[in-house]
Amino acid sequence: MLALTPPWTKRRVLLAVTGACLAVATAASWRDLGMVPTSLLAGVSDVRNLMERMLPPRLIDGGRVLELALETFLMAFVGTALAAAVSIPLGGLAARNISPNRWTAGAARGFISACRAIPDLVFAAIFVRVLGIGVLPGVIAIALHSIGMIGKLIADAIENIDEGPRHATEAVGANRLQAFTAGVWPQILPSFVGICLYRLDINLRTSVVLGFVGAGGIGFALRDAFGGLLYPQALGIVIVIVIMIGLFELVSGRIRRALLGDAAVVLPSHGWMGLGSRRPRRKALGQGPQPTPAKGRPASGSLRPPWTRERLTAAAYLAMFLGLIVYAFGELQLSPLEVLWALPDLGRVAAKVIPSQIDAALAGQIFSAMVETIAIGFVATIIGAALSIPIALMAARNVAPAKWVYAAARYGLVVWRGIPELILAVIFVAAIGLGPMAGAFALSIYSVGFLAKLVSDSLEEVRPGPREAVMATGATRPQEMITSLLPQALPAVAGHVLYVLDINIRTSTILGLVGGGGIGFLLFNSLRVLRWEVTGAILMLIFVSVYSIERLSGWLRTQLR
Amino acid sequence: MSVAHAVRVQGLTKHFGDHAALQDFSLEVPVGQLVALVGESGSGKSTLLRHLNGLHRPTAGAVEVLGTDVGSAKGAALRSLRRRIGFVFQQFHLVGRSTCLENVLSGSLGRLKGPRPGVIGYPIAERRDALAQLERVGLADRAFQRADTLSGGQQQRVAIARALMQRPNLMLADEPVASLDPETSKQVMDVLLRCCLELNLTVLCSLHQVEMALGWCQRVVGLRDGRLVLDAAASDLRESDLRDFYSDTETRKRKADPTRTPVPAAAITAR
Ligand SMILES: Nc1ncnc2c1ncn2[C@@H]1O[C@H](COP(=O)(O)OP(=O)(O)O)[C@@H](O)[C@H]1O
Ligand SMILES: [Mg+2]
Repeated sequence: MLALTPPWTKRRVLLAVTGACLAVATAASWRDLGMVPTSLLAGVSDVRNLMERMLPPRLIDGGRVLELALETFLMAFVGTALAAAVSIPLGGLAARNISPNRWTAGAARGFISACRAIPDLVFAAIFVRVLGIGVLPGVIAIALHSIGMIGKLIADAIENIDEGPRHATEAVGANRLQAFTAGVWPQILPSFVGICLYRLDINLRTSVVLGFVGAGGIGFALRDAFGGLLYPQALGIVIVIVIMIGLFELVSGRIRRALLGDAAVVLPSHGWMGLGSRRPRRKALGQGPQPTPAKGRPASGSLRPPWTRERLTAAAYLAMFLGLIVYAFGELQLSPLEVLWALPDLGRVAAKVIPSQIDAALAGQIFSAMVETIAIGFVATIIGAALSIPIALMAARNVAPAKWVYAAARYGLVVWRGIPELILAVIFVAAIGLGPMAGAFALSIYSVGFLAKLVSDSLEEVRPGPREAVMATGATRPQEMITSLLPQALPAVAGHVLYVLDINIRTSTILGLVGGGGIGFLLFNSLRVLRWEVTGAILMLIFVSVYSIERLSGWLRTQLR
Repeated sequence: MSVAHAVRVQGLTKHFGDHAALQDFSLEVPVGQLVALVGESGSGKSTLLRHLNGLHRPTAGAVEVLGTDVGSAKGAALRSLRRRIGFVFQQFHLVGRSTCLENVLSGSLGRLKGPRPGVIGYPIAERRDALAQLERVGLADRAFQRADTLSGGQQQRVAIARALMQRPNLMLADEPVASLDPETSKQVMDVLLRCCLELNLTVLCSLHQVEMALGWCQRVVGLRDGRLVLDAAASDLRESDLRDFYSDTETRKRKADPTRTPVPAAAITAR
C-alpha cells in the first residue's frame, strides 16, 4: 500500500523544526511586549485621534524646509558616493578570488559586516558627539554604514565573475591592479551602478531622520515640530519628505533603465530585485547582446570608440554625477579635506569605545533591552507579513482583480514606503505613549509597505502556464492561488520575509531614540552622558545579535530554494 | 438536447488585433472519436483548442462543447464545463515545486469546495484516486517527488494524470509531445491515447508529427491560416497524403513570400 501523506524527508523535518522555532520565537516576542489583539485596535483609534490633531497640514517657513530637504538629498548623495569610492578597493580586498590572501579577505569582510551592523543613525549620534552638530557627521555616518552593503555586494559580485578575462590579462603579464581594471571592473560595472542607485534610494530614506540627533537635514525641522507639539507643521514636513522620496524613486528608476536596461540587477544577499519595468530597452552599461552600431561604425583606422547612443548616455550621466558632486560639496560647505581631517578624531573614538568596567546590573539591563529589540523585530515582521500579502495580491499586475486596483496599489505603495520608519515611530509614540508597543506598531506598518512591494514583484515573476493549467481544470481563482500561484512564489516570498526580519531587527535597535522601546534608549543615553565604554558594549552586543540573525536568515533563504 | 456531438464549432472566427487566427471555421466531433489536428505552426491549432474550454473568446461564431455554449458561459457554468474537459499542454505546465501527487490532485479542484493547501488539504478518497491515476501513467513511485525533478516525458505523464483526475468527458491535447524526443514522444502518446480509449473519451489532439496522427486517430483535420483545409478518415489517408499536405503548405508559403516569385492571389486558394 502506498502512502497517502508526504513522507518526512530530512529536509522537510529541518524546515518544519526551523519554522516551529520561528513561530515560538514570535509568540514569545508577542508575550514579551505584552501585545494583545485588542491593543492593536486601541492603537488604531489612538493614531486616528492624533491624525485628527495633525489636520490640516501646514508648512510654516516653507523655504527653510525645502532648503533642508535639498540638504538631506545632498547628504545622502555625497555619503553614498563616498561609500562607493571606498567600497571598490575594499570590496576587491574582501573578494576571496582576487584578494591578496585569506587574512586580508577575512579582515575586510569583518570590517564591512561591522559597518553594516551599526545603524547610520548610531554612527551619526557618535560622530555628532565628536565633530559637533552639522552635516559632516551625517555624511560620514551615511558613508560608513553604506560601506556595509555596497562593499559586501561588490565583493559578492567580484566572486561571481567569469574568471576567464582576468586570467587572460594576467597571462599577458598584467599586474594585480591592471588585471582588476581590465578583467574584473568591466564585468561588475553594471551591478556596481545598480547597487549604488539602490543604496542611494535607501540612504535618502534614512537621512531624513539624521537631524534627530543633530546630524543635518530635514530631520532638524521635524524634530522641532514634534518637540513643539506643532502637529500640523509636522505633517506638512512629512508630506514634503514623502514627495521627495517618491519623486526620487521614480527618477532613480529612470536612470537605472537608461543605464542598465531591463536586466534585473542581482543583489545576492537580498534576493532578486526586479528593478525596472519589463519593457525591453537598450542599456548603456550592459554586457548583454549589444546592438551592432550600424551608424556609428568607426571609419577604418579610427583609434577612438564610436559615440553610439549608449556611450553618449553613459557619458552624460557621468558628467551629471561629477557636476552634482561638486555642487553638493559647495552647497553643504564641505571640503574633501575636512572629511579627511575628521578621520583621526574618529580613530580616537574607536579607541574609547572598548567596553570595560560594566557592572552586572547594567549588563543585565542591556541584555534584556536587546531581547526586547529582537522581540520587536519578530512581532513587526509577522504583522507586516500577514498584512502585506493581501496588498501584494492587489499590487501584482498578473493577479490584481482590475487594472485600476493595480495602479492604485502600486502608487499607494510608493507613498507608503516614503514614510521612514523612525517618523512612524515618532507618530506612534505620540499617539499611544512611550514603550516597545509603539515601536513594534511603527515597524509593522513600515514592513507592510516594504514587503508588499517585494512580494508583488515576485508574484509578477510567477510563470503563467501552470496557473492557466489549473484554471483549465475548472478551479476557482482562490483555489488556483493556493495550488499554483503561492507554491510557485513561496521561496521568494519566504526569502523576502526573512530579509525584512533581518532589517527589522537592525531598525528596532534605534527605535529607542524616539521612545519606541528596545536597546536604543540605553545606547543613545550612553552617548548623551558620554559613557563610551557602555556605548561600546552595546554596539558589540548589537553586532553579535544582528550578525547572527543575518547569517541565520541567509542560511534559511538558501535552504528554501 | 442530447449530446450526440462532443464538439460543435460553427463559423468560428478569431482576431488578435487585426490578425485573423481562425476564419469561419466549422467542425463537428461525435462522442468517442479520436481526432488529430494537423497543420503548420501558426495555422491556428492552439487557438482552436483554447476556444473549446473557454481560454479564448470567439470574435464571431458559435462554440458548443458537451452541450454547453462556451462562448457565453462564464463563472460557475464555465468552471463546471472545464471540469469535464481535460487539457494537456505542450509545456506540461506543472507546478514545479509541488509534488507529483499534489499536481495530480489539483485536477480534482473543480469538484471540491475551497482552496486546498498541500496534499493533506485533499480528502483521502481523492488522494487514493490521484495515486491510481499516477499508477495508470506508470509513475506511482514518484508520487512525493517534486515535479521539476522529473524528465520531460515523465512530467507530461503527470500532466496527463492531472487531466484524467478531472474524470473528463473530453480530452484536448495541444502538441503534447512537441517538446519531447521521438522515443519518449511515442511512449507519451501511447499513454495518453490508451487511457482515453479505456475511458471512452472524445479526444482532440493537435500534432506536428505526421506519423503520430495516422497511427492512433480515426480522423485527421488539417488547418492552414486559420481555415479548415483537410478533413478525412485516417484509414483513407496514407502517410504520403499527409506529407503532401505539409509540403504543399511549404510550397504555398514559399510562393506567398513576396520576396520570391510573386504569384496571383487566385493561385493560392485552398485545395
Ligand atoms: N494571444 C495571442 N495574441 C496574438 N496573436 C496570437 C495569440 N495566440 C495566437 N496568435 C496568433 O494566431 C495565429 C495562430 O496561432 P496558434 O493557434 O498558436 O497556431 P498553432 O498552434 O497552430 O501553431 C498565429 O499567427 C499566432 O501568432
Ligand atoms: Mg500551438
